[in-house]
Amino acid sequence: MFLMKLNWHKKLAGLGVVALAAVALTACGGGSSNSSSSKGSSNMPKAPYKVPTASTPAWKKDTRKNQKLTWYVNADWWNKSFGKDMVTKQIKKDLNVDIKFVTGDDTKLNTYFASGSMPDLITIFDPNSKVARTANQWAYSLQDLSKAYDPAFMKYAAKDTLNWYKLSDGKTYGYPSYSNTAADYKSGDIAPRDAFVIRKDVLAAIGDQDFTTPEGFVKGMQAIKEKFPKLIPFGFNDFSGANSSLENVVQDMLGVPITKAGKFYDRDLDPDYLKWLEAFREVHADGNISDDSFTDDSNAFNEKINAGKYATMMLGSDVNHGTNLQTWMSKDKNKAYEAIEGISSTEGRERTLSQAGISGFTITYVSNKTKNPSKATQVLEYLLSDRGQMLTNYGIKGETYTQDANGEVKWTAKAAKVQSEDASAWQNQYRIGEFFLMSHDKWKALNKDSYVQAVWQMQKWGQKYLTPQFDIENIAPDPGTQESRAYSAIQTNWSTTMVSLIRAKDKAEFDSVLNKYKQFQKDNNIDQINKTRNEKIKENQKKLGEN
Amino acid sequence: MLLKGVFLVETREKVVKPGIGEKTKRWFRGFGKQWQLQTMILPGVIFMIIFNFIPIYGLSLAFKQYSVTDTIGGAQWIGLDNFKAIMADKYFWESVWNTVGISAIKLTVEFFLPIILAVMIYEIPWAPFKKIVQTFTYLPHFLSWIILGGMLINWLSTNGLINEVLKFIGINAHGNYLLDAGKYWNIAAWSDVWKEAGWGTILYLATMAGIDPTYYEAAEMDGASKIRQIWSITIPEITNIIALNLILSVSGLFNSNLDQTLVLMNSQNQPKAEVINSYVYRVGLTQGDFSYATAVGLGVSIISVILLIITNTATKKLNDNQSVL
Repeated sequence: MFLMKLNWHKKLAGLGVVALAAVALTACGGGSSNSSSSKGSSNMPKAPYKVPTASTPAWKKDTRKNQKLTWYVNADWWNKSFGKDMVTKQIKKDLNVDIKFVTGDDTKLNTYFASGSMPDLITIFDPNSKVARTANQWAYSLQDLSKAYDPAFMKYAAKDTLNWYKLSDGKTYGYPSYSNTAADYKSGDIAPRDAFVIRKDVLAAIGDQDFTTPEGFVKGMQAIKEKFPKLIPFGFNDFSGANSSLENVVQDMLGVPITKAGKFYDRDLDPDYLKWLEAFREVHADGNISDDSFTDDSNAFNEKINAGKYATMMLGSDVNHGTNLQTWMSKDKNKAYEAIEGISSTEGRERTLSQAGISGFTITYVSNKTKNPSKATQVLEYLLSDRGQMLTNYGIKGETYTQDANGEVKWTAKAAKVQSEDASAWQNQYRIGEFFLMSHDKWKALNKDSYVQAVWQMQKWGQKYLTPQFDIENIAPDPGTQESRAYSAIQTNWSTTMVSLIRAKDKAEFDSVLNKYKQFQKDNNIDQINKTRNEKIKENQKKLGEN
Repeated sequence: MLLKGVFLVETREKVVKPGIGEKTKRWFRGFGKQWQLQTMILPGVIFMIIFNFIPIYGLSLAFKQYSVTDTIGGAQWIGLDNFKAIMADKYFWESVWNTVGISAIKLTVEFFLPIILAVMIYEIPWAPFKKIVQTFTYLPHFLSWIILGGMLINWLSTNGLINEVLKFIGINAHGNYLLDAGKYWNIAAWSDVWKEAGWGTILYLATMAGIDPTYYEAAEMDGASKIRQIWSITIPEITNIIALNLILSVSGLFNSNLDQTLVLMNSQNQPKAEVINSYVYRVGLTQGDFSYATAVGLGVSIISVILLIITNTATKKLNDNQSVL
């Protein structure tokens, strides 16, 4: 080995030269492509067919065969196959298009921007990212696309959603999936997802208990412990990546306001909410919250639901735990979980349960580098249309579902069998409910079986409490700024604080932990962060037409 | 490195302070003679250039304000702003402190334990038993932290294995160990020792296999005890490897285990569990603050190189002025 020591510095110099050359090469590559970005929407190619009015979708008029599109989805888990399953086969047939899916993460997305060669369609997930905020530089606006190629698109697009994603030039560039508007909230087509639930047998055995007040809650848990010493009296969602169901969800249960006088309101420090945290502290001190609930991951939490280990739960996102709730229910109907009135405001406020907001889940754009904007527009229009929504949510009429005169959808016997018995065939041969890049929740309401039976009662319970929280969507400081770092430090500190509050030994420790957090907020520039939030809230209100 | 090594063996003997021209000529002649051998390492060299050297260019991000829509070249220069922000970041310093703390425990235990373990395995006279011990100690190394972490969370929970065992032998159970921030350093370090100690013996055992058995025979005839033999024969024979491992461990002081941390960290132990790697991951990938995360990474790399040089110099002193690298 020592032989290598000779002349090592010379060798290092040589490698340095190679590295420098490489740097120069990559630098050139980056630079040249950067200058060629940003193309106005005025020079869009002319539609190769006679553009119909809004009453006819353009794909019916477009006679071109064997069209090809590339669609980038910024997630590694997206299923890249196209044209092999029932849903995408039908899309391929109707639109004469073959779509090649490409998936990746932010680095790959960045490579596209750096190289200047873009896929035809791009789907991202973060409406707050710089990519989304600068979409006017790399995408065609939906207004222009619709006018030039497919006026029917605007017929299906929700106005509120378009307004929500408008950039400063007054145009909208991307369209989301699972975007719920205020009208959707009111329609009753969207199911709430959070509820305080209790096992039926437990409820029957503990007699008259009042879980709606903090004092009653603590007593109720003691009563459960007495009658069912083997059960964990109170459970809640796992903490992986978020603050369980003890933060936003409890705040929604209490109807803690999201803004006060149009300004940001720190819901975490709401007196009503803190009173309930103090109640949870007492429950924990009584030994009626298991410490393991703070370390369990989602698998461990689901296992406990599966086995009915929790007597009661503050359950966030019941649909996501639907199969586990169903498994438990199928063991004994009389022990199933049901939603009851619990955890209510001490100040008489109405609950404000929330759901997916207007920002939705994914956002899809048509890049302004595409050679085939007409086909790309048709794809989006098709998927967003009633026909496309029915296809992606339910498959093909007669084959996988039937629809009666009232519009109610039922699975055919064959489809129902595959759904319950062969999950992989359901996913790969049908792909029903999986091709969701333009899907929206309200279509699910057409079919009672969209959700498992175990959550029906919970959804019905919360229906009347659904309230939009659009004002406070995407109001965190922009990433990469000093504010955003301070904000994330505060978030991190709050996660620790919240659990420490519940695990505090007594009221004195509770108060001192809380005061430390308040001081931490102050030390980390909370006033400046709140100013940014206020500005963003104002922008949101403008977009929503509330101002 | 091999490149130089291979033909130096051949040319070394004739060297009598040649001129530069003469030297280059010989270099080419030597290279020509062994071009087949030399091309064999070409894929490795290309691999290194592409994956280790070209990305060095990306370090310029540390001095820039960068976001996904920028090119690396096109992002705006902001000088040392990122580094200034790091200096003022409480969570960064917390992560440095934790990294050093956990590494220090690991360094002391995980450095000595494999040596002791290797000697013990080496001294096992019955071969089948030796194999069994080796297999069992290697085993955890092959499990990923995702699995091992899941097991640990379970074992350390309120009604987990450890508390059940304690209860069985009549000691008061402790509760959930992972919620106790004060215990985290030890949990992290010792679980890593458990996972890696067996694997760490491989190099030592390989070296011991090369020790001339006549040394031991001679020592035995002179009446040296087993301990004496280990101390005076085995240990000196593996000093080189010990030194090498020491250098690698010390320079890895700032390396932290991302997988392990992501699995075992929770909101309660975070103040003691966050390490540099998980911090960089959180800031860079989760929050999209690439420049800032790059700056942290660069700073840590520089410190690690300094540590490497210091330990290398120190071990050279201990090793007759010869580097083991």
